[in-house]
Amino acid sequence: MKKAIEKLWLSFNKARVLYLLVLPSLIFFIIFTYFPLFDGIKISFQDFKFVGKSSYVGLKNYIEALYTPGFWRVFKNTVIIGFSNVILTAFIPMLLAVLLNEVKFGIWKRFSQTIIYLPHIFSWVIVGGIWIFILSPNAGLINAVRSFFGLDPIYYMAKEIYARPIIIGSNLWKQSGYVCILYLATIAGISPTLYEAAMIDGAGALKRTLYITFPELLNTLKIVLLLNIMGSLRMFNQIYVMRNEVIARKIDVLMYYVYERGLVQFKIGYAAAISMIIFSLTLIITLISKRSLKYSI
Amino acid sequence: MKRTTIGRGLFLIINNFVLIALVLTMIIPLLNVLAVSFTTDMESYENTIKLFPRQPSLTGYITLFQRVAILRPFLNNIFVTVIGTFLHVVFCAMAGYVLTKENFLGKAVIAALIIIPNMLPFEMIIIPVFVTVKKLGLMDTLWSIILIKVISTFSILLMKNYFEGIPKSLEESAFIDGAGEYAIFFKIYVPLAVPGMTTITIFQFVALWNQLLPAVLFLNSPEKYTLQIALKSLVVSQELTSTTQSVANNTRMAGIVVAIIPLILLYIFAQKYFIKGIMVGAVKE
Repeated sequence: MKKAIEKLWLSFNKARVLYLLVLPSLIFFIIFTYFPLFDGIKISFQDFKFVGKSSYVGLKNYIEALYTPGFWRVFKNTVIIGFSNVILTAFIPMLLAVLLNEVKFGIWKRFSQTIIYLPHIFSWVIVGGIWIFILSPNAGLINAVRSFFGLDPIYYMAKEIYARPIIIGSNLWKQSGYVCILYLATIAGISPTLYEAAMIDGAGALKRTLYITFPELLNTLKIVLLLNIMGSLRMFNQIYVMRNEVIARKIDVLMYYVYERGLVQFKIGYAAAISMIIFSLTLIITLISKRSLKYSI
Repeated sequence: MKRTTIGRGLFLIINNFVLIALVLTMIIPLLNVLAVSFTTDMESYENTIKLFPRQPSLTGYITLFQRVAILRPFLNNIFVTVIGTFLHVVFCAMAGYVLTKENFLGKAVIAALIIIPNMLPFEMIIIPVFVTVKKLGLMDTLWSIILIKVISTFSILLMKNYFEGIPKSLEESAFIDGAGEYAIFFKIYVPLAVPGMTTITIFQFVALWNQLLPAVLFLNSPEKYTLQIALKSLVVSQELTSTTQSVANNTRMAGIVVAIIPLILLYIFAQKYFIKGIMVGAVKE
């Protein structure tokens, strides 16, 4: 027994420096990830109070969530906006990458890649701010063009019918350059011998694209779909920036709902229960899509 | 043979038009923002297409720095971004190095503790994180938003991969020369891992510069505001509440320009690392 402890101490001592090096990261994850995760599970079963004792209420918060129309409304918005984002931001950049790859003039190719990637590094405050201004009836670019043609201005951000297309469109504007570069890098990695062989067999450019480039992009497409799915479920910043009371009904998503209920109205227990529902959903969807996409990297 | 070349030529022409249209969709909004930021108060409200200011003016920027007082949030943002990025790179490099080591007591547990948080997006635990930050007494401090994302699994794994590419023989010969574990890490591995560290520096810099949600959650007093919160109330909130409309379009767009200049500079000087990082990032997630 004593010997075993001594041996344990010896191997601990040997790795002493390694423990010190990894310590900040472990402390961080314990305080800011693991503790909140378990605390969140606990809070979701409580009528949580910052001051005084919080009492356990069982499944009340979960049941309340499932019977609140507000919850199902944001759930529906998340599904509609999320699904559109997943599909559009995967396939449109793919098409663009194939087109961009056909450009032979090096400087122009590099320039266009540089430009379309740019919006990706801007925050949603910036991108949202730009689009709110451009769509504004107050000297916004689109309405300036309309008035140039003698048309009346439209207040796009205050019309329910435009709300979701604007959210989906501005997301596409922000993210497509980034996704496009993922595809371009894959295309650059396709072995040229494949194309040469096809050329000898008499396949034209269109056939080469259809039968070589697209199939080779399949793996990247899976990764992009998975990234988009994860991104859609955690969507918050864009809605926080671009929403207003007039269009809120059409675009408020799950994470915004959690924020509003929990940290604006301070229904902490209720919001924690909804977070837990979203988290379980995310896990399930991720596992299913990883399996069905045969995610293998 | 001739037909295909004609078809090919036609395709190339159409293709280039599509790409020009694409690039214009990206550039025109940005040019418009830049142009409006340099207009006079009056001109910024005119319903005309603006790709350059008719009478260039700095009024927007003057209002931005004097009346809107953007300097304080801007400096707060620099503080958070610089300190946060520095700590991030140091800590993640240290942890990444440890993960390259084999067979030490508790390796499997440590690796699991580091990798599992990757499946747990920050957004999903904001409620309990808010409670935790409140309990720790970090509410309304800039440290709360520095610490909240100071470590990421992604960067640790990226550094691990980078360290694994460094030949073991270097370490062995240093060990024979009597160098300790610290010396081996800081004097041999760290200098050789500079490109990897540059990649995570850039990504963390952009992430912290743009960080919004933690700032929204934890900061209350205006003198603690970071750039993103200050900008949010500047460029967004005023749209629908026309009664309080007091800041002209030129000032709002000047705010956007000021916030993106550091990012554009970084992008120009470090483009190579951006592209490299994107690839690693996608494969890792």
